[in-house]
Amino acid sequence: MIWHIAKRELYENLNSLRFGLTTLLLLALMLTNAVVHLREHPKRMQKYHDAVTASLNVLRARADNLYELVKRGPGKLYKKPSSLHFCADGGEAVLPNVVNGGGGNWSWADGLSSIWRLKYPSVTPNLDNIEPDVTKVDWAFIIGYVLSLVALLFTFDAISGERERGTLRLMLANAIPRHAVLFGKFFGALVSMLIPFTIAVLMNLLVLSTSRSVQLDADAWGRLGIIFGIALLYTCLFLALGLLVSARVQRSAVSLVILLLTWVTLVVFTPNTLASIASGFSSPMSADEFRKRVAQTEGALRMKYATYDENQPQKRRRELAAYVTEDAQQNERLNQERLSQQLAQIQEARSITRISPVAMVQNLFEAFAGTGFERHTQFLENVRSYARQFREFVTETDRHDAKSRHAVGVREGMSQKEVAMEAIPKFRDELSLNRDFNTTAMDMLLLALFFIVLMSGAYLAFVRVEI
Amino acid sequence: MLPTLIRRELLDNLMTFRFAAALFIMLLLVVANTAVLIKDYERRLADYNTAVKKHQQKLQERDIYSPGFAGVVLVRPPNPLSIFNVGLDKRLGSEIGIRPSGAPTLWEARMHGSANPLLNLLSSIALGFIFEVVLSLMALIFAYDALAGERERGTLRLVLTNAISRGHILLAKYISAMTCLLVPLIISLLFALILLTNSAAISLSADDFLRIGGIVLASIAYLSVFYLIGFLISAITHRTSTALMLAMFVWGFLVLVYPNMILATIKTSDVPQERAVSALNQMKQIWEQFDRERNRFLAADAFPGEDQLFNIKEPWGFGYDEYYENALTLFAEYDRQLNFQGIDEKYQPNVPHLQNYHRFLIPLTIRTADRVWLIRKEALVDTLVRQANFKRTLLKLSPAGIYDAATQAWTGTDLSGIRDFFDAARQYRKTVMTWFDDKDAFAAREWFLSDKREADWSTLPLFSFERRSVEINAKRALPDVLLLLMTSLVLFMGIFLLFVRSEV
Repeated sequence: MIWHIAKRELYENLNSLRFGLTTLLLLALMLTNAVVHLREHPKRMQKYHDAVTASLNVLRARADNLYELVKRGPGKLYKKPSSLHFCADGGEAVLPNVVNGGGGNWSWADGLSSIWRLKYPSVTPNLDNIEPDVTKVDWAFIIGYVLSLVALLFTFDAISGERERGTLRLMLANAIPRHAVLFGKFFGALVSMLIPFTIAVLMNLLVLSTSRSVQLDADAWGRLGIIFGIALLYTCLFLALGLLVSARVQRSAVSLVILLLTWVTLVVFTPNTLASIASGFSSPMSADEFRKRVAQTEGALRMKYATYDENQPQKRRRELAAYVTEDAQQNERLNQERLSQQLAQIQEARSITRISPVAMVQNLFEAFAGTGFERHTQFLENVRSYARQFREFVTETDRHDAKSRHAVGVREGMSQKEVAMEAIPKFRDELSLNRDFNTTAMDMLLLALFFIVLMSGAYLAFVRVEI
Repeated sequence: MLPTLIRRELLDNLMTFRFAAALFIMLLLVVANTAVLIKDYERRLADYNTAVKKHQQKLQERDIYSPGFAGVVLVRPPNPLSIFNVGLDKRLGSEIGIRPSGAPTLWEARMHGSANPLLNLLSSIALGFIFEVVLSLMALIFAYDALAGERERGTLRLVLTNAISRGHILLAKYISAMTCLLVPLIISLLFALILLTNSAAISLSADDFLRIGGIVLASIAYLSVFYLIGFLISAITHRTSTALMLAMFVWGFLVLVYPNMILATIKTSDVPQERAVSALNQMKQIWEQFDRERNRFLAADAFPGEDQLFNIKEPWGFGYDEYYENALTLFAEYDRQLNFQGIDEKYQPNVPHLQNYHRFLIPLTIRTADRVWLIRKEALVDTLVRQANFKRTLLKLSPAGIYDAATQAWTGTDLSGIRDFFDAARQYRKTVMTWFDDKDAFAAREWFLSDKREADWSTLPLFSFERRSVEINAKRALPDVLLLLMTSLVLFMGIFLLFVRSEV
């Protein structure tokens, strides 16, 4: 019975104005998205590869001496652009794409100088961009905003319209259970929305795969599949919302007004307003405060190592090695602390905006597309683990040299052997699907929960309502 | 007859669910967001005050005049009207140093260091955006069944059997619906104003109220355009459901899709390359000429050789002089720093030479920088500014884009408003340089040396930035408002022609 009703709904929809307009709108958006990606992505990749090559060259120039490596580090570490950038832009323009580990800021007259530590860029790129602000037309926008609106337009009159025309009473006069009507309507609307959406998505992917410069591997296709699934769930959520209101309200015009206003509040305003409120809860260390603390701790450390016994050069060398190491660690720790405060502020804001399904979908898309905030934190983690690996490598290499005095951080105290470029660990920025599943499980469950609640609400409303 | 019609329509509209819903949602969104936005503004104001205080303190502690890393730094105050449309107020640099070697522009401005740079990830909205989205939606919801509904119910035919001209019917519907739509706008705006005037941090001047009046005017014009779009749809369709569907898709396209899609679809060329290159070359030539004049001076100087430091080699200080170029922002400048904390006795005889050299060099630098600025200014306008303005013009093909531009112009958070600040900063640079000159500071020991006397900053003229007067805002905003009104007029005439000739 459900399928019968669904089929009837589908036929009715296929001939309607909204079906045509939806197809047009989605096609236009998806094609724009593909064309823009084809234009931008090769440039982005080129830039990344150039930067990585330059960084490797810098590393090669330093590789002849272990102390140089300790002092100046492995060069800049770049974030790899995602091949699924078209699914979610994730505000990549305002996120730094590089961690610039740098040498320290002091050196003594006798040749001792501070060693490499991780530094996180604190300036916003894009500061002098005078062009107008617009949202990027990515899948997250197309699905989050446009598709959700279309879903409401497909369901607002599903039940109230039939009630107005009187056909609902006619239909229920037959031995059709009410839930069959509801689910029939639901599946009918879902399929008739999926047709234009799938066509648009396929067109988008078709255009993308014509180009050789943009290649999607098996992993990327898997991610695309998941993203499509999330889009489906999200659409279902809005269809259920539409049915719920449509079942409760007598007139379809009223139903639409309610739905549109709910949509505007939920989709357009809630994420922004809540984010603004939530970001006010905590205030991370300011740049001035940070500088002050760095100066303070550096001074304290210098005082600690200031006095020494001149007759024991061996001991002094070990002390100095301990000093530069501790100095770098301490500075890195402060940098890290400031960064995690900043990240926590954003994290807080993002978790509160989860009330709005569009924010959830945006988060999910970003996570699976490998862009945006989650990706950035993952990049930073990769950077940190690489820094550990790099330091371990240096210590190991030094330990294997019998001639070295094993005072890592002091020029005379370290191995003077040349280092093989191949042996130095290189930074590799990788994504793991596993981790993405973990961080997004919550969002997915919430989305599913929202859907179930709305659908059962619609069911209850429709079963108990007077026709 | 017209008043009767208007009264009927007005009552019809006022008693509807959609009116109540519009009022409710506008109040909810506007009040909630105003509270949030005021908080945000207060935070920004506090950050601004901290930054100003910090720079003043640093300046007072500074014992040489030469603007090194710090020197005189100007901070851009947050605009209180950014609550209505944030525009570029938050995004562009807010802090700029004053140097002899270059005119300050927004392309060199930095952010003062209070905020979390990652906060840019979270988009923020202003009241103007609420109006833009909700009012247009409301206008369409009010309009879609204005004619189609009456036609469907058959009441249109009934009304027309009386001796009523069709134009009057249209006019009555338009006036009454606009009145109804204005109610939520005005009431929510009043609430916002109450909250604004209650906040201790925000003090609105008479000009600000005029600007808000301008925003209301723009909102009315915007509302009218969207109402008439809905009206037009209603006039050409026969069934309300078709009209509604069409109206919603038009809304989605104009407000949601078009503004975001257009800039991605249109492939704007990168900055005109030849223009940038020629400007950079011109600027380089001017600096080369500067270099030549400097070398000529050094050659003619009584001190042997062409050493800019006159052989002064001291560990307690630093000096460098480098030419920088940035093709992206057309930046070309000599960055010159000279800072001695003390000079050894044996070099003391060389110091007067250095002073004499500075007396010649710094005014020359200022003059050269002024000449370079004239070229850079034109080149920037021809490349970056023109490109950004072209994109803004493209956005104006949608009424939402026009409305956004108009409210930005009224609040002064548009590009011109931000550039006003940097104009003031350039003006102030002149004042500061004249002040230096009057003190003969360029040739003073304390220009670069901090061993004997200290720099005296007490008589430095203070910088204060006043936003341009409301007339300037009006001049920038009115073309857009007029464009909206013109669109309304054209739409109304179109509807009139369609309706007069249509069968009922």
